Amino acid sequence: MKLNKHIVSIAGGALLMASVMALPAQAHKVVVSAYAEDTYIEGEIGFSSGDMAVDTVVEVFDMDGNKLGETKTDEDGVFQYTPKQAIALEFRANLGQGHIATYQMEVDELPDIFSSDDVKAENKPNDKIVASSTTAEATASPTAGTAVDPALLQAMISQGVQSELKAFKSDIASAVRREVKPLYKEVAAYKEKNDMQSILGGVGYIFGLFGVGFYLVARRKQTNSNN
Amino acid sequence: MHIIDGALTNEVVIAGAALSVGGLVMGLRKLDMELIPAAGVLSATFFVASLIHVPLGFSSVHLIMNGLAGIILGWAAFPALFVGLLLQAVFFAFGGISVLGVNALNIAGPAVIVGLLARPMILRAASARSVAVIGGIAGGLAVSLTTLFVAISLGLSGETFVAAAKLVFIAHIPVMIVEGLLSAAAVYLIYRVKPELFHVMSQKS
Repeated sequence: MKLNKHIVSIAGGALLMASVMALPAQAHKVVVSAYAEDTYIEGEIGFSSGDMAVDTVVEVFDMDGNKLGETKTDEDGVFQYTPKQAIALEFRANLGQGHIATYQMEVDELPDIFSSDDVKAENKPNDKIVASSTTAEATASPTAGTAVDPALLQAMISQGVQSELKAFKSDIASAVRREVKPLYKEVAAYKEKNDMQSILGGVGYIFGLFGVGFYLVARRKQTNSNN
Repeated sequence: MHIIDGALTNEVVIAGAALSVGGLVMGLRKLDMELIPAAGVLSATFFVASLIHVPLGFSSVHLIMNGLAGIILGWAAFPALFVGLLLQAVFFAFGGISVLGVNALNIAGPAVIVGLLARPMILRAASARSVAVIGGIAGGLAVSLTTLFVAISLGLSGETFVAAAKLVFIAHIPVMIVEGLLSAAAVYLIYRVKPELFHVMSQKS
């Protein structure tokens, strides 16, 4: 009897230990995120426990599952890949023991090297206007002398602003990237959070489900006994 | 323990799903009214226990508590654990929907095996202490069987079986010990406080 009491207290202690140890621990899930840096894509792979995937091969596929290339993570779990076409990509890494990390990147998330081409294409009509007005300027200036045509001035100013903006664009983009990077990480971490509410919600669902099952079985039994 | 979407080949996923459906049908038939409350509680226990992760060296592990579910529920452990797995996949993207069958088989399969082995022994046992010992061994055995099942499903999908098996098994030795102790304590408590539960299950198994 005494021995039994010991067994119970040991087991109780183990339970207590397990629950105390478990408090600061997080879920063990694969976490991937990727974002455009300058001209390449940078991404991180790791576990939600904070361990990063070291020296892991990351394969890159297009949306049809064709392999486009591969890269490797460094000791911080960070990988880099330079896309060659403006298509949606899928990154995939096998971390072993049934852990597969996948991340899909849409075309509009790709680095600027492609999106700037798109922007140029959109701006083309605008450029043409500017170009035509500059040729107009060239032909008009000798006859008009010093008189300034307001429309021409407008065109010149807008051209100047455009070129200034173009020069600043990469600076602005990299500054925004720098500012937004911690947010990316925070959002990725937040997505992985198992909070008390959802755990309790899950427990509630389980009891609800078994309650419904209990009700159905009980009803069937009652109708059977009534007959 | 939870294999996620995309890690297994289609053949393994389909075979796992088919076997799990069989297990579910079998389990639901055995799930009688007296067992439903216990099944609900054990399902919730499993749900919470597998969300609590203990960091351990190169990775982290979590409790499973499938041994205890098997001892108390027998075949009925299958639907109970399946519900837990389903909700984990839906709420936390833990595991995955397409691999639900394989995961259910890997976790509920050992529960049923251990339950069928341990239950007759518990019913025959003379003292509370021997019941606790049987419960403890069964709890540990269920976890080690689960690691074996996981290694087999990874092995069938192309990963080297021996390496996978070793890794998963070694990582789960502490889990086996803790679960053994917990199962022993739980079975001991049931034997002391509510031995009718064992008789209910003996009639239904």
